[in-house]
Amino acid sequence: MKRFARSTEMTLLVIGVVFFVFLVIASHGDLLSANSLRVLLQFLAVPVLIGLAQMVVLAVGQLNLAVGAIGGFAACAMGVLMADHGVPVPLALLMGFLLSAVAGLLNGVLVVLTRINGFIVTLATMTVLLGVQYRLVGTRTVDAYPQGLKDFGSSALFGVLPSIFLVALVVAGALSVLLRRTVPGRRLLASGGNPIAARLSGISNDRSVVVAHTLSGAILGVAAILTVASSPGVNKSIGGDWLLPSFAAPIIGGALLTGGSAVVLGTVLAAFIVRFVDTARAEFSLEPSWVNFVVGAVVLGSVVLGQVRTRRQERRSVVRAPGATVAGGVS
Amino acid sequence: MTLFQAERVDKVFPGVRALDGVTLALEAGSVHALLGENGAGKSTLIKVITGLYRPDGGRLLLDGREVSFGSPHESASAGIGVVHQERNLIPGFTVGENILLQKLPTSRGLVDRAAVRSEASRWLAELELDIDPDQPVTELSVAQAQLVEIAKALSVESRVLLLDEPTASITPNEAALLFHVVEKLKNDGRAVLFVSHKLEEVFQICDTVTVLRDGASVLMGGALSELTRDQVVDLMVGRVHEALSLPPREVDTSAAPMLELSGVSTATGHADVDLAVRPGEIVGLYGLVGAGRSELAKALLGLDRITAGEVRVRGSVVRIRNVRDALRNHKIGYVTENRKEEGVFLEQSVSRNIAVTIWDRLRKAFGYVPAKAETATVASYVDQLGIRIASPDQHAGTLSGGNQQKVSLAKWLAAQTEILIIDEPTVGIDVRTKDAFHTLIWDLAANGLAILLITSDLPEMITLADRVVVMRDHRVQGELPNDHDYDRMSQQVIRLIHAEGTTAA
Repeated sequence: MKRFARSTEMTLLVIGVVFFVFLVIASHGDLLSANSLRVLLQFLAVPVLIGLAQMVVLAVGQLNLAVGAIGGFAACAMGVLMADHGVPVPLALLMGFLLSAVAGLLNGVLVVLTRINGFIVTLATMTVLLGVQYRLVGTRTVDAYPQGLKDFGSSALFGVLPSIFLVALVVAGALSVLLRRTVPGRRLLASGGNPIAARLSGISNDRSVVVAHTLSGAILGVAAILTVASSPGVNKSIGGDWLLPSFAAPIIGGALLTGGSAVVLGTVLAAFIVRFVDTARAEFSLEPSWVNFVVGAVVLGSVVLGQVRTRRQERRSVVRAPGATVAGGVS
Repeated sequence: MTLFQAERVDKVFPGVRALDGVTLALEAGSVHALLGENGAGKSTLIKVITGLYRPDGGRLLLDGREVSFGSPHESASAGIGVVHQERNLIPGFTVGENILLQKLPTSRGLVDRAAVRSEASRWLAELELDIDPDQPVTELSVAQAQLVEIAKALSVESRVLLLDEPTASITPNEAALLFHVVEKLKNDGRAVLFVSHKLEEVFQICDTVTVLRDGASVLMGGALSELTRDQVVDLMVGRVHEALSLPPREVDTSAAPMLELSGVSTATGHADVDLAVRPGEIVGLYGLVGAGRSELAKALLGLDRITAGEVRVRGSVVRIRNVRDALRNHKIGYVTENRKEEGVFLEQSVSRNIAVTIWDRLRKAFGYVPAKAETATVASYVDQLGIRIASPDQHAGTLSGGNQQKVSLAKWLAAQTEILIIDEPTVGIDVRTKDAFHTLIWDLAANGLAILLITSDLPEMITLADRVVVMRDHRVQGELPNDHDYDRMSQQVIRLIHAEGTTAA
C-alpha cells in the first residue's frame, strides 16, 4: 500500500480528482449532471483504448505509429461491409476486429523478420493503411449501417455510464490480468524489461514482440468498433488524430519508454486527465489548439519528470547498495 | 628522469580494498610492465591514474608536482594518454577524425578537413604507420585500429602513455608491429606503462616491472633483466589463502558424464575443445579474461554456432538450439556472469525473477499463472538459498549484489536443472557472502548436479573444483586434478597459462 501511495498512479489520481473538482466548481456544478457525466465518459472510451494499444507495445520496448491508421482502416472496413455489402453487424464487426489484429500481427512479424526498427516498420504500415482507408471510403462519409449499432453506441447504464466506456474498462481489466498474471504477458514484460536476461532465461523475445503488436492491433480493433458504434458515420479522417493521445496516455501514466512496464491503471487515469483538459477548454471557450499545446507540454513534462525520478533512484541505489551489502552480509 | 609517480595510492570499494598503498614510477624513455592476476588491481590503478576514479589515499605526481584529476579529460590535457582494453573508435568517422576527436581543428565553426588530414598524418608518421587518415575506421584491421588508438592517445601531446592489454585481441605478427611502435615511443623519451598477461611479451619489450597482488604492490620497479619468469610468476600468485573448509564430497568417477564435449569448435573461435562433467562433479574452467570461457558456455546453449565436434548430454549427441531448448529438453541452466545486465529483471519482483523459468509448469487454462502456486515455489528457494528479502514482491533492483546473484541462481534451481553452468559467480561480492555462495555450490554438487564452474578467481577455483580445465586463446591448454593444495595448484595453473610456445593466433 505504501508503494501505491508514492506511485505515479496515486499522483495521477490526486491530480485527476483536483482537476475534476475544479471543473465542477468552474461549471457551477453542471458537470455533475447525469448528462454531462455521460458525455464526459462517452468521449473517454476510445482514448483509453488507443492509449492501451500504445502502452502494450511500449511495454515490450517498441512503438506503434500506425495506431490511427489501423483503427481508421478497421472502422472504415466495418462501415463499408455493413453499408455497401449488407454484411450482418456481428459478422462485420468480427471481420473488422480480425483485420485490425492481423494488421498488428503483421507489424510484429515484419519487425522480427526484417530486424528493421519498429519506428520505420509502423511508419510504413501506417502509410499503406492510410492509403487503403482512402481507397475504401474516398471522400464520402459512410453512415448507412443499422441503427441498432448506433443505439448501442449511445446507450448508457443508469443514464450515466455509457456502454462503450464500460467496454473500454473491460478491455483495460482484461489487459491488466493478461500482462500481470498470464505467461505470455509476463514474457512480454520480461522481454521489454531486459531482453538479454529474457533470452538467457529461455524466453523468445521475437515472440514477445509479435504478441505485443498483435495485442495492440486487437485493442485497436475494439476501439474501431466503438468508434463505428458511437459516431454518426465513418470517413477517411477517422483515426487521424489518434497518434498524440496514444502516446500521451501511457507516457503520462508512467510507462517506461525503454520497456518493461505495465501501467494499465496509469494509462486509464492519464486518459481521464487529457479528457479534462478538453473539458476545460470547452468550459472556458478557449481555442481548440490550446488542447494540443497543453497535452504536448504535459507529455514532455512527464518524460522529463520520469527521467529525473529514475536518475534520483539510481543515485540512491548506488549509495544504498554498498550499505546493504555490508549490513546485509550473509544471510 | 621520473615523469610520473603514484605514491601509496589507496582505493576502497564497499567490502573490497582494491588498491592498498600502491606505488609506481614511470621513467622517461622506458617501458614499464604492470603485472598481476585477474582482480589484482591493474585496471583500477589505471582508472585512478586517468581520473576515472578518485583515490582514497596517497598522491599522484607528474613532473614531481602533485596532481589530481577529476576526469579522463583532465588527465589527457595534462599529457597522460591511455589506450583502454576496449576499442574506443567511432565507426562512422575517418581515421583522422578519430585521432583528433578530443580537439578537432575547425575553421569558421566547421571541421577543417584539410587540417584534420595534415595533423593526423603527422601523428601517423610519428608512429611510422602507413594508414590513410581519410580511411573510415571500419576498414581497419583489429591491429591497425589498436595502433590508431595509440596515435589518438598521442595526439593530446602526451608524454606518459598507458597501454592496457594492447595485445589481447591481435595476432603475434600484428603484435610485432605494435612492439615496434612502443620501441619508437620509448626512444622518443616517453614513459610507457604496458599492462599484459603475456609474460613473453613483457620480457621482450619492457625494462622494469611492478607486480600487483590483491591490490598491493609486491614488487616495485624491479629490472626485468635481473628477474626470471618463474620469479615473476611466484610474485604474482604467492598469496596465503585462508581456505574455507568444506566437507568432503565423493565424486563417482566411473559414472557416465552428464555433459561431454569432444572436438568442439565454434563460430567464436574455439578449436577442438574436449570437456566432460559427471553428476555430482564440479569442473572448473579457468583462464584469463578473453580466453573464451563464457563464449564456450554460450555456444553450448545455442547462442553461438558450433561448427564441428560433438556435444553429448546424458550420453546422447544433441544439438541445442537455444536457451529454451537447453532448459526444457536437456535440463541445462546458465547462471550468467553479468547478473545486472543479463541475470535479473531489476524492475520486477523477486518472485517473478525466480519463477520466470517455471511459468510453463505453473500455467493453467489461458496461460493464467495462479499467484499462490508461484509464491509457494518461490518461497522454498528463497529459504534454501537464504535470499534476504522483505517480501517476494520486492523489486530485484533493490537487493544487494549477493542477493541478486542468489536470485539469478534460484531460477535455475526452480527449473530443476541437472546441469548447471555457473559463470563468475562471486565477482563484486563481499568475502562473507562469497563463502556462503561457495558452500551453496558445493551443496548443489553434493546433491548430484553436474556443475561447470567458470571463474577467474584462482582461490575460488581451488576451493570448489574437482578438476581444473585451463583454457587459453579458445583452446583447452590442459587439465589438472585438484588436490586443494593452494600453493601447488596455483603454481601449476599459472604455469599452464603462461606456458611458452603454445600461443595460438
